[in-house]
Amino acid sequence: MNSLTPDKIPPAQQAISVLWPSFLTAIVASGVFFSAFNPLDLVPFNLDIDISPLAAYSIGFFIFWMLSIISSLGTLYFTISNCRSLSKPGQ
Amino acid sequence: MATSQANTGEPVLYEAHKKIYPREVSGYFTRLRVLSLVTLLGIYYVTPLLRWNGHQAILFDLPARKFYLFGLTLWPQDFIYLAALLILAGLALFFFTALLGRIWCGYACPQTVWTEAYLWMERKIEGKRTQRMKLDKAPTTAKKIRTKALKHTVWIAFSLWTGFTFVAYFTPIDELANKLLNLSLGPWETFWILFYSFATYGNAGFMREQVCKYMCPYARFQSAMFDSDTLMVAYHPERGDPRGSRRRSVEPASVGLGDCIDCHVCVQVCPTGIDIRDGLQYECIACSACIDACDEIMDKMSYPRGLIRYTTENSALGKAQHLLRPRIMVYAGILLLLCGMLVAHISQRVALDLDVIRDRNALYRETRDGLIENVYTLKILNMDSQPHRFQLSADGIDGLKLVSDQAEIVVEAGAVYQMVVRLQADEFNLEARSVSVNFFLQAEDSNHLSTVAEARFVGPGKT
Repeated sequence: MNSLTPDKIPPAQQAISVLWPSFLTAIVASGVFFSAFNPLDLVPFNLDIDISPLAAYSIGFFIFWMLSIISSLGTLYFTISNCRSLSKPGQ
Repeated sequence: MATSQANTGEPVLYEAHKKIYPREVSGYFTRLRVLSLVTLLGIYYVTPLLRWNGHQAILFDLPARKFYLFGLTLWPQDFIYLAALLILAGLALFFFTALLGRIWCGYACPQTVWTEAYLWMERKIEGKRTQRMKLDKAPTTAKKIRTKALKHTVWIAFSLWTGFTFVAYFTPIDELANKLLNLSLGPWETFWILFYSFATYGNAGFMREQVCKYMCPYARFQSAMFDSDTLMVAYHPERGDPRGSRRRSVEPASVGLGDCIDCHVCVQVCPTGIDIRDGLQYECIACSACIDACDEIMDKMSYPRGLIRYTTENSALGKAQHLLRPRIMVYAGILLLLCGMLVAHISQRVALDLDVIRDRNALYRETRDGLIENVYTLKILNMDSQPHRFQLSADGIDGLKLVSDQAEIVVEAGAVYQMVVRLQADEFNLEARSVSVNFFLQAEDSNHLSTVAEARFVGPGKT
C-alpha cells in the first residue's frame, strides 16, 4: 500500500506548510525582539530616510518572516529530497 | 475517500477539496453556541470604541511603545507580564481541554466565530442547504451572478470592517476613522487593513474547515491533552446500531434495528464534513451540531434523546468517571498560583523606574576640596498617568554628598526624564576601591511611589 509521501503533496499545501509556520514564528520573534529594541533605533544612520514607527515595525516583521520562510523552505527541501533518495532502490 | 488510478497504476490519495454545505440546525447547544459567538464578536468590534481616562481603553500603541489596558499602562520594561500572560494562556488551554475537550474549537475560536458569521450571511443570501447546493450547480445566469455578487459584496464589506477594527487596536480608532474619511491613511495602515481584511475574507469565506483540518496546530496535539475522562462528542452504537430506516410506529427492536434511522442529518450539519458515527475523529471540532440535529430527529421519532451526545471515553466504556483527577488538579493548582502571582505583582507594581548609568570616561575625579567624585546619568521613567515632583537622595557612604544642577525634578506623565548628578565622598570614608551606593527617588505627593537603584562608586582604593 503506497502511503502519501512528501513529494506528492499538492503545491498549494506545500506552500502553506512553509508560509504559515514561518508567519507564526515571525509574530513571536517580532513580539520578543521589539519589546527589547525600538525598531526605529535600528535604522542605520547613513540611510537618510524618515519612516513612521508603523513602517519600522512592519518592515521588521517582514524581515523576520523572510528569515523563517528561508528556514522552512530548507526543511521542506530536505524532507522532499530525503524521501526521494530514500525510496530509490539500492539506497 | 476517493482514490483514482494515476498513469503508473498507483492509487493517488489526493482529492480536490469539495465545498461543504452545513445544514441548518437548532437546539440547546446551538443556542449556547450562537450566544457565545455573538458575545465574542460583539466584544471584538465594540472594544476599540471604549475609552478610559482620556485614551482608548485597550490600545497597543506600537509607535509610543506602550500597551494600554484600561487603567494599566504597560511599558517595554513590563514585558515579563506579557510572557506570564502567554504562559497562563497556554496552561488555561491545557486545563480546559483536559476537562472539556475541544470546547475552544466549537465555541470560542476566532476561525469558528467568523466562519459561522460568514455562513449566516451566506444562508441569508443564498438560502438553505439544498438551495445553496442547487445554486452552485446551476449554469451561470444573471440571477446567479447577482446573488453571488451580493454575497461577496456583503462578505468584503464585513471583512473591511473587521480589518479596520483590527488596526484600531493599534492606532486609536477616532484617528483612524478620521484619516479614512479624509482618504489620508498612511501606506502601512492601509496595507495592514487590507491584509487583515483579505485574511478574514479568505479564512471565513473560503478556507473554513480547512484551517481547522490542515493549518491549526491545536487539532494536532489535542490528543496529548485528552485523557479517558475528557468531554467529547460521541455516537452510541450500542443503542443506535444496526442502522436503517423504519416506520415511526414500529418498535425498532422488533425489526432488528437500533435507534439510528440512518437519516444522515448528523453528517449534513457537520461543518467539517465528517460522520461522527465512525467514532471520534481529529477533524471533529466538537461544535455539537450533530447532537442538536440528532436530538431533533429523535424527538420526531419519539425516541429518547442522546443517541449522539457529550460523553467521555470512560463513560462510553461503562467505566467509572473521574472529574477531579490528578491532571486536572495539577493544572488548576498551577493556574491559580500563577494567576495569583501575576495579579499580586501587577497590583504592587510601582509606576516608577530609575536607571543609573555611571559615567565611564574616568574612574573618578578629584574635586578642588579634595573629595572623590563620580558622575552619573539618571533616567527617570514616570509610568504613571499624572505628572509628579520627585526628591532624589543617595546613601551608602558616610558623608556622601549629592550634587545636582536641577533644583527640582518634575516628570510628566508617561515621560522619561534624564539628568546628570554627581556624588562626592571623602577618600577616608571609602572602605574599598568600588563601593555600592543607593539612589532613592521619592514622589513628593505620593508615599508609595518610590524606587531604589543601586550603583557603584569608584575611588582610588587603599594604598
